[in-house]
This record gives sequence, structure tokens and C-alpha cells, in this order.
Amino acid sequence: MIVRASLRGLLHHRGRTLLALAGIGVSSALLVDMTMLASGLTHSFAALTRAQGYPVRVTPAGTLPFDSEAGISEAAAVSQQLREVPGVRSVAPVLGAQLYLVRSDSASEPLFTSGIDPAAQMLYLLVEGEEPGDDEIVVSGPLAEALGISVGDTVSLAVELDVALGRPRGSASYRISGVGDFLFNYAGERSVALPLARLQEITGRSDEVSLFAVAPAADADEEALVERISAAAPELSAYSTRDLTAALDQRLAYFRQLSTILGSISFGVATLLVATIVTIGVRERFGEIATLRAIGVAGHRVQIGIVVEGLALSAGGALLGLPIGLWMARRLDQILLTFPGIPARVSFFVFDGISVALAITLMVGIGALVGVIPGAQALRAPLGSALREEAD
Amino acid sequence: MSRAGRLPDALERGRAASNLADPVEVVIRASGVQKVYGRSSSEEGGVAALRGVDVVVASCEWTAIVGPSGCGKSTLLNVLAGIDAPTAGTVELLGNDLGRLDERARARLRLLRVGFVFQRFHLLPVLTAAENIELPMAEAGVARRDRRQRSRELLDFVGLGGRTDHRPPQLSGGEQQRVAIARAVANQPDVVFADEPTGELDSRTSAQILELFSSLNAHGTTLLTVTHDPEIARRARRVIEMSDGRIVSDGRPAR
Ligand SMILES: Nc1ncnc2c1ncn2[C@@H]1O[C@H](COP(=O)(O)OP(=O)(O)OP(=O)(O)O)[C@@H](O)[C@H]1O
Ligand SMILES: [Mg+2]
Repeated sequence: MIVRASLRGLLHHRGRTLLALAGIGVSSALLVDMTMLASGLTHSFAALTRAQGYPVRVTPAGTLPFDSEAGISEAAAVSQQLREVPGVRSVAPVLGAQLYLVRSDSASEPLFTSGIDPAAQMLYLLVEGEEPGDDEIVVSGPLAEALGISVGDTVSLAVELDVALGRPRGSASYRISGVGDFLFNYAGERSVALPLARLQEITGRSDEVSLFAVAPAADADEEALVERISAAAPELSAYSTRDLTAALDQRLAYFRQLSTILGSISFGVATLLVATIVTIGVRERFGEIATLRAIGVAGHRVQIGIVVEGLALSAGGALLGLPIGLWMARRLDQILLTFPGIPARVSFFVFDGISVALAITLMVGIGALVGVIPGAQALRAPLGSALREEAD
Repeated sequence: MSRAGRLPDALERGRAASNLADPVEVVIRASGVQKVYGRSSSEEGGVAALRGVDVVVASCEWTAIVGPSGCGKSTLLNVLAGIDAPTAGTVELLGNDLGRLDERARARLRLLRVGFVFQRFHLLPVLTAAENIELPMAEAGVARRDRRQRSRELLDFVGLGGRTDHRPPQLSGGEQQRVAIARAVANQPDVVFADEPTGELDSRTSAQILELFSSLNAHGTTLLTVTHDPEIARRARRVIEMSDGRIVSDGRPAR
């Protein structure tokens, strides 16, 4: 009956309740977004790193993948060495380089080019055609689209530009063997991949790679494997996906701070809103509460009614905020991912049920509990005077 | 009031279940009761509303408390009912020394064995008439079906059988007060305290309320009524007259 009275009170003050719900909804939407942002990029990056089954990266000592120009020399021997580490299923070498697309009509365009082992690669998923053979390349979807080319066509790639003449040097033609979905490319990035040996040969970086991606055997523990690789090849750095995301996390500390601050603010706003509404409600019902006490309703029962009111408001607002938050996250993601250099496959906002549930639960819980304070005040007021006040 | 007059069976006194003290012949026994508002009982600064009141109320009595405004009638009623604590003196209500009970126990005592009727009705505006009557029963743990039925009977008793689902704002003052009386007796109290129950009502409506009180008292409910209404004072069997925080006369009114 007490609970019914509380809920009906909210219905009775419909306008105020709706405004409060809207306010709490918007701030909990922001809270949801900030929770999703806090871990979103690292979560989705980790998923991406693992996507092709090659979660471990081996790079020149002290560098992160593709972080420096430094390369790993004597790559074939190192590759063999890695393969022999227990628990390694497959080793995928990658050499990053820049080639130039030679076009008859216009200036040459630089293309990010990867040398890969067609039998063991984790850079792209073929969407059309097959892995490249000699004199063959795989192009990214956006490149194929931009040039209007497809499997079987031929393109000309140069290793260098003659700076003085502005003309390519050392060009050769390659047949397109396939079109790939390059996992780590940013939105619309034009890139190509070709067999490692060929890229090493034309760039003069013989027996060199930028990094190895390592796939563990099904039963191998990723972290233990990284330890063994580090021991086997102390001149290199080995990273598990966890190490990589930790490194990324460090770089994105800025994002986390932002999301923490904005999240706390939205948390505070939502809580204050509930507190204000409930306090006003309690204040308004001061006499009613006195009446309940006078006729013998126990204090904790009165408090339950007040807490239910706060709970209904904050839970209702949170329920409203969840879809708004998810929608906002999608929109914001679209905007943020148009920034160049960010893999199109990652998301800034990733829905992590547990953290979102935790944030929302905390907000709803505190929202419900803030009512206890004005409630306790109303319960502590001398009963006779409170009744008298109500009569005036 | 046509349907009113007969008290529902559920209301008949002679209750057994109550883990508080047993029914007693003396309902209220107050001695040396003082009440000072404001400054903690010091002479200067505080308002001395009660200056030493002794009173004993027996079971089934109907007592009216009268006196000029500000003489301490409401204060006395609140202190006797355990709503306010006296600054000095002791109050025994239904065999319980109120000073020795904590607020929880006092609340329990009020819920189960005391009824209240206020000048301004004090119904919960968002609950219907029936729900307002059910509320104290629900708090006392009466089963839903029983309290439904009893609230219907009580509404019939106060002549509002057709207004079950109306909320207080949809009822007139007199009707609200009748609902409030039904609420006051919902848990079959031994004693009902009423502070100017007809203070807001015209004389015709007051007469109806008075009928209800008469009927309650006739069925064994002890009544303590603060009033300015000479008609109530005439109907009560005992009139306590107060002045300036003291009882100045106590006796049967001349009929
Ligand atoms: N909470 C309070 N603080 C200070 N003084 C109070 C308080 N409550 C009552 N008083 C004072 O105590 C005295 C007695 O008040 P009380 O309400 O008991 O009188 P009353 O006889 O009921 O008057 P009325 O007939 O006007 O209702 C008055 O002087 C009043 O001003
Ligand atoms: Mg008074």
C-alpha cells in the first residue's frame, strides 16, 4: 500500500516525473556511452588482433608493431627459429613498405604495401580471387573500387619516385590475384599485398621483415608462449594481445580520462536529479509522512516508500537511457572512425554488458538510496510539530 | 448516513490477538505531565504548553477536552497518544508506560490499538477511500482479502459504500472525515483520539460525524476528543476543561 502510494504519487505528478525521467535518461545514456568508450577501443582492437588466429606479435627489440622503420634481419632464420618454439602453430611474416601506383594519366600515388607469406597471413580476408603468386598482388577493396579494377587486371607499381622528375622508377606490372578486406586498414585505405620474397627483392631489403605474427597451437597458452619466444629470441620483442592492448591502453589514457570524467559527471547529474526530485517529493509529503507515523506506520516502511520512488525514477531513467546511449554510441563511432589512421574495423564504443550493467546498477542503486536522507530527516522531525505543520 | 449505524462485526470489540499489554480497565493514566516547547525544558525561552496534568481515562469513556485556543489541548492529546514525548511526567497508555517504549514499539502500539482522527482528515490523496482504510490494516499484516472486505464494511458503516474507489480530492470534507474515521477504527483500536474532528465542517456534517462517534463509543471504543464544538462536549460523558496548560475542571456536562 505504501509502495503503491509512492508509485501513484509519481503518476500523479506526471509532468515532473516525465521531466525527471528524461533528464535521468539523458545522463544515463551519457554514462552508458562513457562506459563503452572507456574500454571500447582496446576491446575491439584485441578482437581484431586475434581475428585471424595470430594473436602474438614479434618485433624488433623495444618497438611496437609498425612503430618504427626498424626491421628484423635474417628473417628466414628467425622465422625458422620461431617455428621451432614449442606451442607455435604458424608464423606469418609481414614486411611493410611503400610502393607507388603508376598511372599514365596522373601523378603516382603512394600505396601502403605489405609483403606476406600467402600460405600464412593475417592481414586480410580474401573477398574475391585467391592468394597472390609470383608477379601477383592482392588489392584492398577501396583501391579496386577507385581504379575500377578487379581480379585478372594488371597494375603497374614502382619502388621509387624520381624526385626531380616526379616520375616513378623501377616499375613493374602485377596481375591482381584477389581483392582483400584488409583488417587493419582505416576506412577507405588503398593498399596492396604481395609475396614477401618479391617485396624484399624489389625494395632491396633482402631477408628483412617488419614483424612476425605468431599463431599458437590450439592448446598453447598465449602468455606462456610469449615467454618462450622471448627466451628463444632475446634480440626481439614478443607481445601477447594482452601486452598490445596494454600498450594501446597507455596511449589511449587520454580517452580513458575523458570517459572517466564525463562518466562521473553524468553519474553525478543523474544522481543529483533523483535526489532533488525525491527530496522535493518528501518535502511535499512531509505532512503525509507525519500522518503515516502518527497512525503507527513504522519508520522503515515509510523509508521503503521513499526508496521505491527514487528507485522507480532512476530505473525508469536508466531504461530510457540505454537505447539512447546505444544509438548515440553508434553515431559517435561513425564520426570518430572517419579520422585517418584508425583501423575501420575497430570501434571506439563497445558494449560490455558487465561494465554497463555495473554502471547502471550503481546509478540506480545510489538514486534509490539518496531518498533515504530526506526520508530520515522527515522521520526525525518531532511528530507533533510535523502534524501541526501539515494542518497549517 | 442512511446505511450507517450498525458497526460491522469485524469492529466489535473483544479482540484477543495482540502481543502488547492486555486490554485494561484504565486506558490512559497520566501524572505530572509537563510539556515545554523550544528551549530544552528551561523556564526562559521555551513555551510551557502543559504545566502538570494528571488524568485517568477509563475504558469505554468518551471524554471531551475543551478550553481556549492555545491552552494546550492538542499538546495533551499528542502526549497521551504517544505522538509527543512529555518534558516531565509519565503517561501510561493501555498498560504501557510510553516513556519506556522506544519509537518502534510506540508506533506498533498506535498502529494496532489506537486510532486517530485529525481536524484536516490527513488522508493520502493518491489512494482511494478504500485503500486509505486498508493502509493501516496492510501495515498490521491483515491479509489482502480480509482487509478488502473490512474496508468495504467500514465504508458502508460510515455511509460511503458507493465511494470506494474515489480519491480524497473527489470527496467533500465531511466525506473525507468519514473515511478518516473508518481508517481510524480499521484495526479495531481500544481508543480513538480525535483533534477537532468537526473543526472544518458545517453543523449538519458535524452532526453526522458525531453520530459515528456515538456509535463507536456505544460499541465500546474509548474516545478522547479535543473540541470547540459544544455539541460534542454535550454528547461526551466527561468534559475536561483546560486553561493555560492545566486542567481546571473535569466532570460530566450538564445535560
Ligand atoms: N512546536 C511548537 N513549538 C513551540 N510552541 C508550540 C509548539 N506547538 C504548540 N506550541 C504552543 O503550545 C501552546 C499550546 O498549543 P496547543 O496546540 O496544544 O493548543 P490548543 O489548545 O490545541 O489550541 P487550539 O485550540 O488553537 O488548537 C500554544 O501556546 C502553542 O503556541
Ligand atoms: Mg489544537
